[in-house]
Amino acid sequence: MTTLELTGRPRVGVLGGGSWGTVLAHVAASAGNPVILWGRDPETAEAVNARRRNPRYLPDLELHPGITATTDLAHVGRDCGVILVVVPSHALRETLATLGDHLDGSHILIHAIKGIEPVTFKRMSQILLEETCCKKIGVLSGPNLAKEVAMGHPSATVIASGYQEVITAGTEILKSKTFRVYGNPDVIGTEIGGSLKNIMAIASGLADGLGFGDNTKALLLTRGLAEITRLGVGLGAEAPTFSGLSGLGDMMATCFSPLSRNYQVGNRLAKGESLEAVQADMRQVAEGVRTTQTVARYVRTHGIYMPITEGIYRILYEAIPPKEALAALLDVSRNPYEGDAGKRAARVP
Amino acid sequence: MQPTDSLPLATDPGPEPGAAPPGAIFTFNRDRDDIVSEVVAREVARMGGSVDALELSLNDAAYCEINRLEKAGKKQSPDLAFWRELHRTLGGKPLAEKEALFRTLATRYARDIVGNFDDKAYRLATRILPMGLSLILRPQGTSRRFVNLNSTLTERIRLQGHVSTLQALARKGTVILVPTHSSNLDSVVIGWAIYQMGLPPFTYGAGKNLFTNPILSYFMRNLGAYRVDRRLTHGLYKDVLKTYSTVLLERGYHSLFFPGGGRCRSGAIEQKLKLGLLGTGLSAYINNLQKQRPDPNVYIVPCTLNYPLVLEAATLIDDQLQQEGKSRYIIEDDEFAQASLVWRFIRQVLSMDVSVVIQVGEPLDPFGNRVGPDGLSYDKRGRVIDTRKYVELRGLPQHQHQRDQQYTKELGAAIADAYMRHNVILPSHLVAFTLFQTLKRNHPRLDLYKLLRLPDDAAGISLSEFYRTLEVLREELVMLADSDRIQISGVVRKGPAEAITANALRSLGMFHAVPPLRRADERVSAGDMKLLLFYQNRLTGYGLEALFAEEVRA
Repeated sequence: MTTLELTGRPRVGVLGGGSWGTVLAHVAASAGNPVILWGRDPETAEAVNARRRNPRYLPDLELHPGITATTDLAHVGRDCGVILVVVPSHALRETLATLGDHLDGSHILIHAIKGIEPVTFKRMSQILLEETCCKKIGVLSGPNLAKEVAMGHPSATVIASGYQEVITAGTEILKSKTFRVYGNPDVIGTEIGGSLKNIMAIASGLADGLGFGDNTKALLLTRGLAEITRLGVGLGAEAPTFSGLSGLGDMMATCFSPLSRNYQVGNRLAKGESLEAVQADMRQVAEGVRTTQTVARYVRTHGIYMPITEGIYRILYEAIPPKEALAALLDVSRNPYEGDAGKRAARVP
Repeated sequence: MQPTDSLPLATDPGPEPGAAPPGAIFTFNRDRDDIVSEVVAREVARMGGSVDALELSLNDAAYCEINRLEKAGKKQSPDLAFWRELHRTLGGKPLAEKEALFRTLATRYARDIVGNFDDKAYRLATRILPMGLSLILRPQGTSRRFVNLNSTLTERIRLQGHVSTLQALARKGTVILVPTHSSNLDSVVIGWAIYQMGLPPFTYGAGKNLFTNPILSYFMRNLGAYRVDRRLTHGLYKDVLKTYSTVLLERGYHSLFFPGGGRCRSGAIEQKLKLGLLGTGLSAYINNLQKQRPDPNVYIVPCTLNYPLVLEAATLIDDQLQQEGKSRYIIEDDEFAQASLVWRFIRQVLSMDVSVVIQVGEPLDPFGNRVGPDGLSYDKRGRVIDTRKYVELRGLPQHQHQRDQQYTKELGAAIADAYMRHNVILPSHLVAFTLFQTLKRNHPRLDLYKLLRLPDDAAGISLSEFYRTLEVLREELVMLADSDRIQISGVVRKGPAEAITANALRSLGMFHAVPPLRRADERVSAGDMKLLLFYQNRLTGYGLEALFAEEVRA
């Protein structure tokens, strides 16, 4: 008996009709599962059901007939034992507020969202725990450019959860000859790696846009990984997670690929466009832009040394010219451990 | 959350002594043999007649026991001979004999653990204890034979927080009370509080070493305490212990666990909890569902015990400061072993104008969700949760080891979080924190051990600086308390710094041979730095140290 059957509900739910949500629904359906794909947009649902297409995000992919699209969250809660949550991070709480009314403790929720909540600095799994009664929660993250997975290029991902049952369920529903799932108990490390690599993708796009070569890129990526690991371990993650698929792996895919939205943001900024202009004509959100702000603010108040993140933040939000910010990174006269970032004035006399 | 239903004990004296509240504990003696055989039967069943499982369990037990007895220098002990013989001959024995051996050992351990409950002892204790205490408390030179004990004890032991919820839940299911643990007096204080709340006595596991005192032993043994032999580290014993706890919970015995393990050495709020025994709550819940018992629910109620003064503080902090790995797990020769000292301590605490505060936290289910007075679990958005669904597979309640461990881990995190939020800051903690952190800031080059050996003339600050700093911290604490992240006592909330300091000096100056701090010549200085550390540790974990950060240098 499969884990999905054990939940007592025979379908897989996918929340979010963006490109990654649609591709995951396609993978799950191709593995033989009946899939319900939820999206906000009735036209997309209509197109999926009538023409097996998602014209907005993946016009070229013919979707598996096992997918049924819906705009009704109650439908997902009622019929799906395993639900993949792939809505944009800023829409998560709102979506769960409704879905939560239709969930119980037997549901398995696996999110595939990159991002950290601004101000609260909460990870997506923490939001799932806050907004629903579910405990069997996991995260799916890895070097997975949606279009490549859709084309059936060999790829792999990680599902992290404290519950073996969640990992097993996720592995079963996504089983395919070209897509492999690895399990990991380290939820924090998997989420932090997946979210913060978007900052490094912007950095990578910047370096390319400025015409720098591979030395610069290697510098940014390895030191970028080091600062992400430093933050992650401080939050309770295991260091080895960051050198795995969901850490280094994801970062390589995102930073080397011109397909990545975050890379494109960096690349166009380097060529002199403004952030507003870049964002205006991007159809999907570049999570890295928001993540940079969230992380930079957090590390400033908590005294964590993350110079690359700090540099990207200054380019994005303080209009520092990219070249200047990158140069500051290489300035050896600044001893990293004596920076004043994060130090707060004493309040006691 | 503010204490929603603080129970002023003075207006609610609880049941009349002798009028015992209802509870499974009162039929314990009748059920005892039955409980032991159920425990043994479950342990044997767990082995599933597997040669491998039996051999592994018995060999592990033999290995641990031989090691322990050899280290303890008990070369001539018959126990050692028994285990060596077992170890030598186990391999050749047929399955039936291995199973019989396992059964014998499980029975022996279960009998060793099992408690007793004597209704007479209960009535005696509930009558004698107040009389004895009122005799101690008789004011000098008054002709009254007894002072009004209820009013004295209620002033000294303040019970606040979710008291009425706890009372309601004790009638709807089985309650596991999980207090913080800092003193051997904890179980007495908690026992008194349980009695005052009108609840039947709770059963609890007490270290075997505590049973050496004959009077204490008499009461512990007859009031539902069972014995935990912490020297036994092998799986066979630990499993018997867990199953014993599970069976008691299933049968509706309210229980008391100290999930911090032993008494907290550092004086801080415990954050690393032991999950083994805690998990028996979930096991009992699932078993209850499988057996379709009418009141299957198990409620876990965190609470904090907040002493202005801790009897064993000196020994505990000494042990904490031993280099890692050298600290003793079981302390047998502490202040508690000296009856006269315990006596003096109780007498002094009771004669002071400060109180021990018991803060009852919000009850939780075995998954770490909040439980309301109606006995229902709620998620963080206020939706009612059907907790059965967490353990159902294809609609049937099932145990699943890895999943259940993870649930228990989340419960542990919820308890640790509740401890932080229900920690009640008393003047002695705040005053100790203020002085210790200031000294630490003033001597940035000293590590902890050097700081503890600070010479007397360097270990003080001016009274005015002390008050100013304390006031900043007090304001910060009021903010934390108002946002539900900590609790503060009335004196701390009200201030001013002078009153808080005076209050703290009175309680801290009373019992300890060298007080943690003292005031003289417009200065506040450390007396015993280690004790100062112990009391200030209660305020760690809230980020308050950051208020002492160095000024940003341009």
